Amino acid sequence: MHGKFDGLGRFADPSLLILTSLSDGPKHGYAIMTDIAAFSGVGMEPGTLYGALSRLERRGWIRPLAVGERRRPYEITAAGQEVLAEQLRSMQQVVRVARQRTATA
Amino acid sequence: MKPALADRLSRAVVGCYPRRWKQRYAAELLDVLDQHRAGPRTVLSLAGGALSTHLDPDYRMQIRLKPHLSRDAKLYIAIFAAIIVGVPALVILPMIPRAIRESRWEPSSSDSVGAIAFSRDQRIMVSATGGPPWEATSTLWDLTGQARPRRLSVFEGGSPATISPDGATVAANAGGGRAQAALWNVTRPQHPARLAVLSAGLSGALWGEAFSPDGRILAVASTSGLVLWDVADPARPRLLRSLAADPLVSDNPGPVPFGVGQGDLVFSPDGRMLASVSGSGQVTLWDVARPARATRIATLAGPRDYLAALAFSPRGNLLAGVTYHGSVLVFRVAGPGRPARVTTRPGILASARFPGGGSTQAGPCGGDCDDPAAYAAGFTPDGRALTVVVDRPEAWPSTAARDTVFTWQVTGSGALSDLTTIFRDVSDAQPVLAPGGRIVADGSLTGGEVHLWTLP
Repeated sequence: MHGKFDGLGRFADPSLLILTSLSDGPKHGYAIMTDIAAFSGVGMEPGTLYGALSRLERRGWIRPLAVGERRRPYEITAAGQEVLAEQLRSMQQVVRVARQRTATA
Repeated sequence: MKPALADRLSRAVVGCYPRRWKQRYAAELLDVLDQHRAGPRTVLSLAGGALSTHLDPDYRMQIRLKPHLSRDAKLYIAIFAAIIVGVPALVILPMIPRAIRESRWEPSSSDSVGAIAFSRDQRIMVSATGGPPWEATSTLWDLTGQARPRRLSVFEGGSPATISPDGATVAANAGGGRAQAALWNVTRPQHPARLAVLSAGLSGALWGEAFSPDGRILAVASTSGLVLWDVADPARPRLLRSLAADPLVSDNPGPVPFGVGQGDLVFSPDGRMLASVSGSGQVTLWDVARPARATRIATLAGPRDYLAALAFSPRGNLLAGVTYHGSVLVFRVAGPGRPARVTTRPGILASARFPGGGSTQAGPCGGDCDDPAAYAAGFTPDGRALTVVVDRPEAWPSTAARDTVFTWQVTGSGALSDLTTIFRDVSDAQPVLAPGGRIVADGSLTGGEVHLWTLP
């Protein structure tokens, strides 16, 4: 799984996976991990997850919801949705070009 | 790497994050670790995370790079430093988990000690702090040399906490606002290892834990109910029975849980009965001879006051209780007829002398405040005397307090006579009587300390 994470390079960076995971509603830490594993096959470790969560929170792309003390859900903010949309546009562009070039190759 | 070792290392590494980061994220991260199967990658990712957080200026700038260095140079220095520090750290970490635990999971100086319990031979004591979930700790003590108790280890887990009679297993609050206890293997007391989280059966707030005398059953009480676990194999606990659907102590006037919950939930010496505080002035007696089919025997009523401490006599025929406002009650719980109250001795609070004033002073708020005193109760091993310890605090903001120890002779039918009292000045604390009834442990409510003293 480690290799798979490396192979996906910057497109599989934890922030993108987390923002994607939170797009369909707030989730707490472990739910984010299992969701990411389910939709991308990336086994993200807790240290990586919380490093990324604290960075995303500081940038204002996600925010914690005040429910419970220990199992705290996070939700994506409007700014986070914009960043994600922007990132997806750029990835779509890459995918489009890559498809064209591999098709003609 | 074994999963248990990876799990312990992961938790130790969480302790290495900067304090401010821990205050914000550690509880959540520990919760994720509760559910995640840890492996070497988990430890590595956490070690990397801890290191980069330490380097993060928003948390704690430990390494100040010279300002004239270029951005790239700073990055290379940081990576180089990370390798220099990180690689040896990863090699050394497995060898010194205890050192890390001791240095990182420190009880904070402002924490209150919320629970104290002894092994049957009184050689091992566990104390646990209240405090927020990411800072709640349990501490194991070696009391072999009674004059100089030695701290063996500090690990995550708060009050209520208790230790099995054989001193091999600690049950502590797993925290996080969920009513679940965690079991720790402390057979190597300097390296406690978490065995299991008892997550089923309860909601509300935990207030009590008690091992049966043979150590095979653990009773766990929350404000929503009482459950019995088969912990004969503490690595594979089995839920045996949920006992009470009605709230047990949710309407009590003190903090929920009551300070130290150790006296509030007790097994009889033969392990066939369990007594639990339940609601206003009530004790519920449970028949737990066959724990999977445990039933309520009786609900015993005292005066309209909450019970703060309970103790069975060594023969198991009497149950003594002390109420929140200072009445001593004795119930007959075995023998012919239904269990019944046989003795009521009100007003011991009035004769618990006060450090600053005379014996007539009724209390910090006229004897009618919500937090008049803390109590412990226990019979002597021969069953002929009942000891009640009252820790009476001076009015706020003083932290001075006085322990008054009342000792009565007890007849076989539960009558009390020949009262003697002794005093000792202590700090504001929650007292606990060790098995045997000779050692008083006072858990400080402000300083994270435990004071031990021996009754004459």
